[in-house]
Amino acid sequence: MKTKNLRTAIAVGIFVVLAAGLIFGVSFGTLSGFGWDDFSVLCPLGALGTMIATKTMIPRAVVSLVAMILFFVVLGRAFCAWACPVGVFDRIRAFFRSPKKRKEIEQAKHDEMLAISRQELEARGVAVKNAEHADAQCTHSCKTCGGCQPFKHGKLDSRHAVLGGALLSTAIFGFPVFCLVCPVGLTFATVLVVWRLFSAGDMTWSVILIPAFLIVELVLLRKWCTRFCPLAGLMNLFSRFSKTWVPTIDDSKCLETAKESACGRCAMACEADINIRHPEFGERTMADCTRCRACIDACPTKAISMPFLVRAGHKVTLADAEQDVLEGIQGAERRAEAAFSPLDKAGE
Amino acid sequence: MTEQKDTDVKQVASTPSEKRAHEPMSVSRRSLFIGVGSTAALLGLGALRYVGHTPVNRPPGGQDEAALVSACIRCERCYEACPRKIIVPATIEDGLLGMRSPQLDFSANYCDFCREENGGVPLCTQVCPTNALQLPADAVLGNPETGERGNVIIGIAKIDEYSCLAFRDTGCRACYDACKYDAIRLEGTDTNPRVYVEADKCNGCGACESVCKSLSAGSIVSGATHRAIIVEPVEAE
Repeated sequence: MKTKNLRTAIAVGIFVVLAAGLIFGVSFGTLSGFGWDDFSVLCPLGALGTMIATKTMIPRAVVSLVAMILFFVVLGRAFCAWACPVGVFDRIRAFFRSPKKRKEIEQAKHDEMLAISRQELEARGVAVKNAEHADAQCTHSCKTCGGCQPFKHGKLDSRHAVLGGALLSTAIFGFPVFCLVCPVGLTFATVLVVWRLFSAGDMTWSVILIPAFLIVELVLLRKWCTRFCPLAGLMNLFSRFSKTWVPTIDDSKCLETAKESACGRCAMACEADINIRHPEFGERTMADCTRCRACIDACPTKAISMPFLVRAGHKVTLADAEQDVLEGIQGAERRAEAAFSPLDKAGE
Repeated sequence: MTEQKDTDVKQVASTPSEKRAHEPMSVSRRSLFIGVGSTAALLGLGALRYVGHTPVNRPPGGQDEAALVSACIRCERCYEACPRKIIVPATIEDGLLGMRSPQLDFSANYCDFCREENGGVPLCTQVCPTNALQLPADAVLGNPETGERGNVIIGIAKIDEYSCLAFRDTGCRACYDACKYDAIRLEGTDTNPRVYVEADKCNGCGACESVCKSLSAGSIVSGATHRAIIVEPVEAE
């Protein structure tokens, strides 16, 4: 919970500073093109779009693109959790939901993730022990839900299709098409047009249409970040190679592996629709980790950590860990021993 | 009936291996739908290029309209960089294609090509990260100190004789006094001269428009929506 507040504070802080710069003319740029004087870091999608559209190499765009790619490889989609205003909108929306609705949503996710955990434990022939959750059942029929079924993770998903469409349109029509509707750009544009409405009396339909666009994208297109955002798609292409600060489960502490009791709290907490314990059941994979630390905060046994480097041979996919579960008690013993080995500690 | 159906489903899919067996078609279908829908929408947006938009006065370096539209990513850096705060986002009324791209607003100030603030190098072109605002290699900027017109023409001032106070015998010559390039000519030697624009001397800096009083001081023209002298983009000519 702490990290969540910190993240909100940082994202809001960045937005307020940049928006104030926009209003008072302090040149920091916006998230689409951050910088001062001659220095600037461009949005990677904007950089790509402007170069495709003008068919020229723009030095500042190339430098930005390379810098951003390095960032994605090191920190994954951290921008999404720590800086993007869209995440703040989602939290504002959640805040204004009625307590009943909020509880309903939470309960549904809780039940679904718990059911997945139970199912996976049972699948491995483990009798689920914890009585606490024994009564937890999906309230809806399995046929209508599909939640307890694994996702088919291809190399590309719907966001890459949006990305491809955006770049295709840019190449055909010769201008950065997505920039017209980018929610990050529209957010800063809203600040500007609203400020101009009050300071200069600039009456224009933009004052209504720009926020309307934003609302359509973020409210009507459900799960914008997971299913639509081409910027997230672009990040995913590089963040999938990230081996740094990737959340990793210590199986000797995890309730599901150590105590064989269904938990699923990390999956309930994940804001990027990843199921870190059972990756095949998450809509997205670890490639989309935003380093938001929600799973770390949610874990009741503090089993999840973000080591600087993922240990060699201990891949983020938990396939080997789950293999251990299949092997049953022996695996658990082996892990318990491993927990005390200095190698393991060095990894943390 | 429904209950029985539900239990049937549960029985059929009770073992997880069987559950795994049927792929959630809805997910891939949704992906396809999103992909096709978004691509169609983005191609539709792209087609706006052919719709075009109303020409607007661009900041220095933005005179090549096609190049500006191609390169501008609406990052808003030029708005911030402008020391006179005259660069503003183009509005939806000027067309969806140009919305949020930079245009000049001469209602309170004008462009001196940053002669005073940056020694004659426009800050907007200096900060533009995508070269959407880029002066041609042979660009000569207007110099309000020497009165040299230069070859970067933002637009050409145009007088609406119907609403202009000078044409109503008020003796107003605010635009003539403001112009640094001798682009406004007084005609008639009496106390109430008329004002005319010398188009071949004007570079569209907007000084005249920024001081025009026709909308604020005693205008008797009702229904006037803009000042009597405004800079019009060259393309509109």
